[in-house]
Amino acid sequence: MMTSRQDLRILMVLYVCIGICPVFLHGLPDVMNILILCLIWGVVAASWDLIMGFAGIFTFGQVAFYVIGAYTSAIVTRTFGISPWFGILLGGVLTGGIGVLVGLPCLRLKGSYVALVTFAVHMILEPFLRSEAGRAIGTGGPQGILSIPSLTLFGYTFNAMELVPWFYVVLSISFFCLLIIYFIIHSNWGLAFVALRDSETFARAIGINDFKYKLMVFGLSSFLTGLIGAVYAHYVGMLSTRLLGLDLFLILMVMLVLGGLGRFPGALIGAFIAVFLSEWLRPLETYRNVVFGALVVLLVIFVPQGITGFLFPDDRPGPLRRLGALLNRKTPDGPPSNH
Amino acid sequence: MGREFIEVLISGITNGSVYAVMAVGMALVYGVTKVFNFAYGSFYSMGGYFAWVVFGAKLGYPLVFVVVIPLLFLAGWLTEQLMIKPLRQRADWEMMAVMVTLGLALFLDNFYQAVFGPFVKSLPLLVEGDITAGGIVIAVQDITIFLVAFGIMIGFMLFLGKNTLGMAVRAVAQNMTGAQIVGVAKDRIFALTFAISAVLVGTAGILLAPKYFVSPFGGWVILVKAWVITAFGGMGSIKGSLYAAFILGIVEALVGWQLGFTWTMFAWFAVLLVTLIIRPQGLFGTWG
Repeated sequence: MMTSRQDLRILMVLYVCIGICPVFLHGLPDVMNILILCLIWGVVAASWDLIMGFAGIFTFGQVAFYVIGAYTSAIVTRTFGISPWFGILLGGVLTGGIGVLVGLPCLRLKGSYVALVTFAVHMILEPFLRSEAGRAIGTGGPQGILSIPSLTLFGYTFNAMELVPWFYVVLSISFFCLLIIYFIIHSNWGLAFVALRDSETFARAIGINDFKYKLMVFGLSSFLTGLIGAVYAHYVGMLSTRLLGLDLFLILMVMLVLGGLGRFPGALIGAFIAVFLSEWLRPLETYRNVVFGALVVLLVIFVPQGITGFLFPDDRPGPLRRLGALLNRKTPDGPPSNH
Repeated sequence: MGREFIEVLISGITNGSVYAVMAVGMALVYGVTKVFNFAYGSFYSMGGYFAWVVFGAKLGYPLVFVVVIPLLFLAGWLTEQLMIKPLRQRADWEMMAVMVTLGLALFLDNFYQAVFGPFVKSLPLLVEGDITAGGIVIAVQDITIFLVAFGIMIGFMLFLGKNTLGMAVRAVAQNMTGAQIVGVAKDRIFALTFAISAVLVGTAGILLAPKYFVSPFGGWVILVKAWVITAFGGMGSIKGSLYAAFILGIVEALVGWQLGFTWTMFAWFAVLLVTLIIRPQGLFGTWG
């Protein structure tokens, strides 16, 4: 475990670094678009990591939750004409509720069953959204939803022509989500998860109510995923069930294993590396996902701790920590401890 | 109504026999190695694509099976040896095994798409012709599929029941430490079960390819179906998987006939949820 202060410091440094990017890159709309998507998917990866890496629940329904949040907000803002801000909140809350509903049967089951049930939710979501029943509630059937209203703030309407305002609004929401995850990981909840993951029997014996904690993390991780999915819907302005294809699922897995499971800001770092890697590999066309699939396999086998584990290893000071120790030599609390 | 009903029933039984082959392979791997193999569906597609390639070389179906089965066996063996075995020492290996097989599935499916293209491949009928009996039309192909699947099941049961190696497999499933004490080479049994399961599901892929085509991502539905059957029948119970496969094959055919084929996936999911809520150990299984 990294110390709480170090996690927060890394998170702050990351967001400051990301936050100054537009100063140099504001003239490049493609790069700005990629940065915004990194921030959005970083939240999905981090909330997936919260439930899988920290709470130790194998769920594979994260993409489904993302899509549910996106569709919810798109449908309510289009049908009832309410403010997209409220739609985003509603998207998060509804997805959180569905997360709890999915979590309820799952938590009675063993790991692999949870993987199956959550993945099955992903599998049946697409036929549902495309069906007549889906069309009736406004999913647009196979065509999806076009023209989703954009966000407005103090009379300004965010638009695709000016990506810098979009960037900062997504940055703020993303930072807010990551902060929530940070506080959970370093609260008593987080401690309970680590205890449950490392020794479930012992944790129960000392009185940790695993059902309650796991249900809460199910709800919270789907809330955050749905929320950021809704932001995505208003950002891109259109939705289709293509999101449920395995492309997004695969790149999220790459983010997770690159960042290292259960290593807090890792998923966010993984998101940036994975998305830029994906852009760099674009010339490979259809073979790009083949490379990504192979990358997941190789990383799990050879670099199970991910890049974060390489930069901040548990047992010996890694390159970044050594650098930090050099820079912080005069700080009174000494070098951060490993345990 | 009556005639159509019987035809639907026959179609359900035919599919059920192939589902039984798939489900037994999955139950075997889970029971023996405790790995939930997310790449299971990709081995199904692998069988179909191998068959398509071999068929393209103008070889008939008997030769297709002769050529493809050893390849599937090898693929399964290598998967276990190269990907699962290195993970076993780790504390969190179960989750890592899920991740690695999921990565493998995505790798394989995208590979099929890149090499064979995104569109479905069709294979010719196994056997041509129909039989008409009392106004009911049965394709000879359906009878052939049923008989081949039935033969595979008998062969598999005999292997587990009578063969020494099969007994070693069962021993590892029952008590790993005990099996090692009496001299069973655990690692080889793990690789063997992966290989056998790849053969079972890959053969199922060949059998169903002429009816349902081969597509790069078609394996995901198969993965969920095989798992639902195994859960419904009872984890690790081969008898349970057999009953469950036929019941669900028929249910699927009836739902498809009455409500349309978009609803079949919901039916599978509903069966899974009801099973897990009412009887999580499945029809014949023990929970644990």
